[in-house]
Amino acid sequence: MISATALTRRFGGREVVRDVSFSVAPGEVVGFLGPNGAGKTTTMRMLLGLLRPSGGEGRIDGRVGYLPEAFTAYDAVSVRSYLRFMCRMKGVSIGDVDRAMELAGVGKLGRRPFGRLSKGQRQRVGLAQALLGRPGAYVLDEATIGLDPRQVVDARGLIRSLADDDRAAVLVSTHLLAEASAVCDRVVVIAAGRVVAEERPGAAGDLEARFLRLVGEAELT
Amino acid sequence: MSFARVRAVAGKELTVLWSSPVPYVVGALFQAVLAALFVDQLHAREQAVVQPLFPLAGFLLLLTVPIITMRSFAEEARTGTLDLLQAAPVPPSPLVAGKWLAGWLTTLAMLLPTGVLVVIVRWLGHPDRGPVIAGYVGLALLAATLTGVGVLASSLTSSQPVAAMVAVFGLLLLWFSNIGSGTLNAGDVLAHFSLSERLRSFAGGAIDTSDVGFLVAAVVVTLAVTALVVDSRRLR
Ligand SMILES: Nc1ncnc2c1ncn2[C@@H]1O[C@H](COP(=O)(O)OP(=O)(O)O)[C@@H](O)[C@H]1O
Ligand SMILES: [Mg+2]
Repeated sequence: MISATALTRRFGGREVVRDVSFSVAPGEVVGFLGPNGAGKTTTMRMLLGLLRPSGGEGRIDGRVGYLPEAFTAYDAVSVRSYLRFMCRMKGVSIGDVDRAMELAGVGKLGRRPFGRLSKGQRQRVGLAQALLGRPGAYVLDEATIGLDPRQVVDARGLIRSLADDDRAAVLVSTHLLAEASAVCDRVVVIAAGRVVAEERPGAAGDLEARFLRLVGEAELT
Repeated sequence: MSFARVRAVAGKELTVLWSSPVPYVVGALFQAVLAALFVDQLHAREQAVVQPLFPLAGFLLLLTVPIITMRSFAEEARTGTLDLLQAAPVPPSPLVAGKWLAGWLTTLAMLLPTGVLVVIVRWLGHPDRGPVIAGYVGLALLAATLTGVGVLASSLTSSQPVAAMVAVFGLLLLWFSNIGSGTLNAGDVLAHFSLSERLRSFAGGAIDTSDVGFLVAAVVVTLAVTALVVDSRRLR
């Protein structure tokens, strides 16, 4: 279970996130949708306890798999060593490394130093890292950024299976509408720091029209 | 605090550090400058003694340890890898302890080749064994303290150069804090904190419990403060 209750955050007097509330139940994928600068990353960082809310409260029950917006590891450390290291940090069995590597599609990159990976490969190491220890909740910030179309499809399947098979609560932010309509049970639309809609995604075309109208309205007020 | 986590952090730090040119370059410069200054001292004294090695090595460590430790927290904060560790969630203490341990071991590895200078002196003359051992114990403990200060400085910023400069400046202050002892009222108190005084006492051949206690306490205090800094910078 992931829940945000009236989360608010100011940076130097400017209110960047304002009164944001929503929750993600186990078995559910919720898309956190909004234009660049809307406050998605800030909200997620408050949920994870990486940023102090100016008001309100964020909660995540149990362990959480986190994929940050700009994932990076240590250039000199090989993919497998890095994942083993992260297992120790998370306090989960290092026996889970192979499964996570397979699922994230980096099964053949174990010995490669992180610094020698392509952008898409790095992103998939980030996904593998989030999967370690089968957490009950996921916070994925722009999960498919840097992936090619084929990998995007694979990643969507993976995200879906986390909710369907593992019964995890998954919050995934994106500014891509097709992304949201393809995997999410529900979308929370945020614009200028405020939740402007919370609904089922429906068809991509409908969502696009609604999204543009909602965001446009938020930016006028 | 689980030791498995400390060891994992230290192992990762050592891999990252030793796959960069930093320890090799810094280590080579350290040996070269130390050897030159030491030989110069031997010439000036016209005597085969080990003693001048310790203050020279100690002083050079003030400039080298901050370069070893500057990346420890600053770089992880800059790139965002620290976020992943804190979201894991890893509490600050194993991170601080692991990073300190890796920095200390690296510094000890840098001190190892100075043994060659000792061997040469032994070959030229007959220095007492006791003060040499005590001097090295002092250097090792001093290195532990310097590493603590370096890691603390690194936790204060996400810029490596700033971390190194803060640490060098702070260490120079601690090193020379005995200078005012004759003139200032508070001078005696300051002298108590002087790292050079502490090292001098080891190099004289005495392993004094108050000196050992001071340096160990300094490590504990700097690491505890670092842990507080890391935690407070997380929740900004
Ligand atoms: N540390 C910070 N200091 C000041 N402003 C910030 C900080 N982090 C984010 N912001 C601002 O907050 C707003 C929301 O940012 P962010 O949450 O990253 O948006 P999104 O992830 O939706 O693109 C942006 O205007 C950004 O400039
Ligand atoms: Mg963002």
